[in-house]
Amino acid sequence: MTLFFLALAALAAAGLSAAVLRRRPAVADRVFALLVGAGCVVGAVPAVRVLAGAPAMSGGGGTWLFGIDLLSAAFVLVVLGPGLASAWYGMRALGAERDHRPVSAARALIALELVALALVVTARGVVPFLVAWEVMAVLAYFLVIFEHERAEVRRAGLVYLVATHAGTLALIALFAFWAGPTGGLSFDALAARAAALPAGGALVLWLALLGFGLKAGIVPLHFWLPDAHASAPSHVSALMSGVVIKMGIYGLLRVVTLLAAPPAWWGWLVLSLGIVSGVLGVLWALAQHDLKRLLAYHSVENVGIILMGLGAGALGITYRIPLVAALGFGGAILHTLNHALFKSLLFLGAGATYHATGTRALDRLGGLARRMPLTWVAFLVGSAAIVGLPPLNGFVSEWLVYQALLGGGTSTGPIRLTLVGVAGLALVGGLALACFAKVCGIVFLGKARSGDAARGHEPSPGLLGPMFGLAAGCALIGIAPAFAVRPALAVGAGIARVPMSVAGQSDVLGALTPIALLSLGLLALLGIGSVAMAAVRRRRPVAEADTWGCGYAIPSARMQYTASSFAASLLATYGPLTGLHEEKTPAAFHSHPRELVLDGVILPAWERVRGALWRLRPIQQGRLWVYLLYIIAVLVLLLLYIGVAGGAAGAPP
Amino acid sequence: MTAWPLAGLGAMLVLAPLLPGVAAKTRATLTGRRGAPVWQLYRDLRRLWRKGAVYSTTTTWIFRLAPVAGVATPMLAVLLVPLDGQAALLRFAGDFVAFAALLALGRFTLVLAALDTGSSFEGMGASRDAGFASLVEPALFLGFVVLALGTGQSSLSGMLGGETGSSLSWGAGAPSLAMVAVSLFFVLLAEASRVPVDDPATHLELTMIHEVAVLDHSGPDLALLLYGGALRMGLFAALPVVVLVSRAGLTAPLALGAVLVGTVAVAVAVGVIEASMARLRLSRVPQFLVAASVLASLGVILQLLA
Repeated sequence: MTLFFLALAALAAAGLSAAVLRRRPAVADRVFALLVGAGCVVGAVPAVRVLAGAPAMSGGGGTWLFGIDLLSAAFVLVVLGPGLASAWYGMRALGAERDHRPVSAARALIALELVALALVVTARGVVPFLVAWEVMAVLAYFLVIFEHERAEVRRAGLVYLVATHAGTLALIALFAFWAGPTGGLSFDALAARAAALPAGGALVLWLALLGFGLKAGIVPLHFWLPDAHASAPSHVSALMSGVVIKMGIYGLLRVVTLLAAPPAWWGWLVLSLGIVSGVLGVLWALAQHDLKRLLAYHSVENVGIILMGLGAGALGITYRIPLVAALGFGGAILHTLNHALFKSLLFLGAGATYHATGTRALDRLGGLARRMPLTWVAFLVGSAAIVGLPPLNGFVSEWLVYQALLGGGTSTGPIRLTLVGVAGLALVGGLALACFAKVCGIVFLGKARSGDAARGHEPSPGLLGPMFGLAAGCALIGIAPAFAVRPALAVGAGIARVPMSVAGQSDVLGALTPIALLSLGLLALLGIGSVAMAAVRRRRPVAEADTWGCGYAIPSARMQYTASSFAASLLATYGPLTGLHEEKTPAAFHSHPRELVLDGVILPAWERVRGALWRLRPIQQGRLWVYLLYIIAVLVLLLLYIGVAGGAAGAPP
Repeated sequence: MTAWPLAGLGAMLVLAPLLPGVAAKTRATLTGRRGAPVWQLYRDLRRLWRKGAVYSTTTTWIFRLAPVAGVATPMLAVLLVPLDGQAALLRFAGDFVAFAALLALGRFTLVLAALDTGSSFEGMGASRDAGFASLVEPALFLGFVVLALGTGQSSLSGMLGGETGSSLSWGAGAPSLAMVAVSLFFVLLAEASRVPVDDPATHLELTMIHEVAVLDHSGPDLALLLYGGALRMGLFAALPVVVLVSRAGLTAPLALGAVLVGTVAVAVAVGVIEASMARLRLSRVPQFLVAASVLASLGVILQLLA
């Protein structure tokens, strides 16, 4: 644990160094890189040791108790791995803007954000947890509004701030209710009180879904997420989407471990929310015209997949089917890590294209594969991974979640209804494929749709490094799944409080070698096939020509299919659910996606509330004598009240 | 023990190009034409393989990778299917997810290759291909769920292979088995781009799905794509047959023979459907695919009640 604290100290020192050395950029770069790199690598060591079987550890004391058990260890890796990539990318990307922006402050913030995140997942008491949580949320706000001169960035920041504080409020209520007026505030004390909670902790579980759900972006609590993630600088989007929203998942899992046995309705609710978030998230992503908003909606989708695993796990506990519980939680954990890897990668890739072209509008891009070949490869790996294609990591974790859902289905009793999740996950997978085919095809393939896209150029090696690091992580888990699935199942078994041997008894672990074989076989076939085809092509007469345009002689890049046209026929199947708003005039057609919850429900409702409050405005006259009159009137009313009710029970003797 | 699965793999790789020919011949015969011989695709493949190729200047390496992936992915997927009615060459818990994901990978690269050309026609085909595939996926998975429920197994070899589960033998399991078989047949029609989802014989780019997505591929690349498409058709034609044959309790060589004959029979059925009905309007296709999911869901419900 000392090692872990030292690592966090190094990260904090990195933040300080960025502020202290802001006048000497060359030195600041090196010191920051060294400290952040060392902090993340060293901090991961105790987590890896715990996952490899070392006993859980704890440190600090009294109220400020921290510790690393299996669950914390998994999330420490989620924080420090993708976190390092984001911080590194940010360090390089921001360097160019040193002249006109507070770059050193932004760097300091991201290093401190990593510290706060690491403390959130290791806190062992309510006070350190909530303090770290709030620091994390507020630092994230400042990271998001980096480009605060733009109005939409300020609006996104405000919506985020309101949402996150609403969530924190729910969490404070949760822990206050759980601990009671006299109870201890350490997590151990909460666990001891769990059995005494009224109605099986129903209120706690609702508040957890509200508070942690707002952070994780569960539909319909996701409304703040697309704006905030799209408006932030790309490395911050990567950190927010990859890591910060996972704190909501961590919170839910921690509540489950402390409560020991969630009631059945909660498992079903989480599973249903997972299906709804998954399907709606990907549908809304398909409707987007903005690259980063699209990726943000995919985070909603993937949180849905994680929740499907989590719900299956909770139901496994409820209905006493240990294997389903371990598989469900294990799948959720692994998908959390995987999503952190590929979503950070995709946001960094999106950042590189945005930096090069100056636009995030899909329909202004195109043909970047030629101008940014390495970025394209990295982005393609991330896309294939998020769609769940072999030989990458997304396939492995979705396979685990399928195993959990099907395992529930082949058991006995009501848990068999988890099968609905199989159909939901299949639909999500199919739609995600369509969506990423659209993103990759429209942004990177074809011809440049505008002058912006024609300006595309490869980013510097310092920016490509983090992307390829994340891509390597995606590939590694896909090719050698045993190294990731075993620890994930161990964590899942830990949450479910069943021995790891439960997973060993099933044929799930036995599947890891065939999956590795399949992945390697696929890579070998593709490699051999490509080489062979290249040889064949050398022997044949090969010509180059324009794309076949059915005889049309002067094709232009504007004739290409666009992102909107690619998604149009698919979205038509789902009608108003997609939130796509179309405007047709005789001369023009225009479509733009609406955020159904924020623009459709919350803002109109808020307008009504504000309208109602407006009627109270006459009492605020802004003149001193009016307020004095109010004070005197209130005093008189109080005196009257005491005079009338003076003999009542509540009065002092 | 692996002799028969290997024979199955070999038969599938060699005989798959026969299936589109059988379907086309059936269609021609029923509509009063003589039609091309059933081995026409072999001739086409040989001719295309020897030809040169024209590449669009817009395309990149992904355009050249797609034909390879189009063959490699169904080839690996064949390894997972117990064509001899016993056990597949590669089997593991939940390998049906890998089966679907491998085919999805083939589709992903094909769609990207279509978008790589920058042609609006190919974009159209790619969009339709990806959109319809997203509706096929639930039907396919629900079909596997029925089999998993009936057998208590989660690998294709367990679901389809030798050890038949309690409720999924002939008799009690017949209604849900039949629903799965029909649902998988619908999936085949969509996956292999056949009537009523797509028409391989159409001549107008605007109405095509699969054909238009490969419009710019030529020569050896087109040969690979056609062969991969035939493999895909063979794979999905064999699935409903294996579902039915594996319940009959035949020994490996007999079962393999029955699967191969049945697969050809499915191709004949595809031809009969092509001769008897027209392609659906594009906006109707989703309803057809949802119907496949609904059928499979009914199978699931029957299994849950059993």
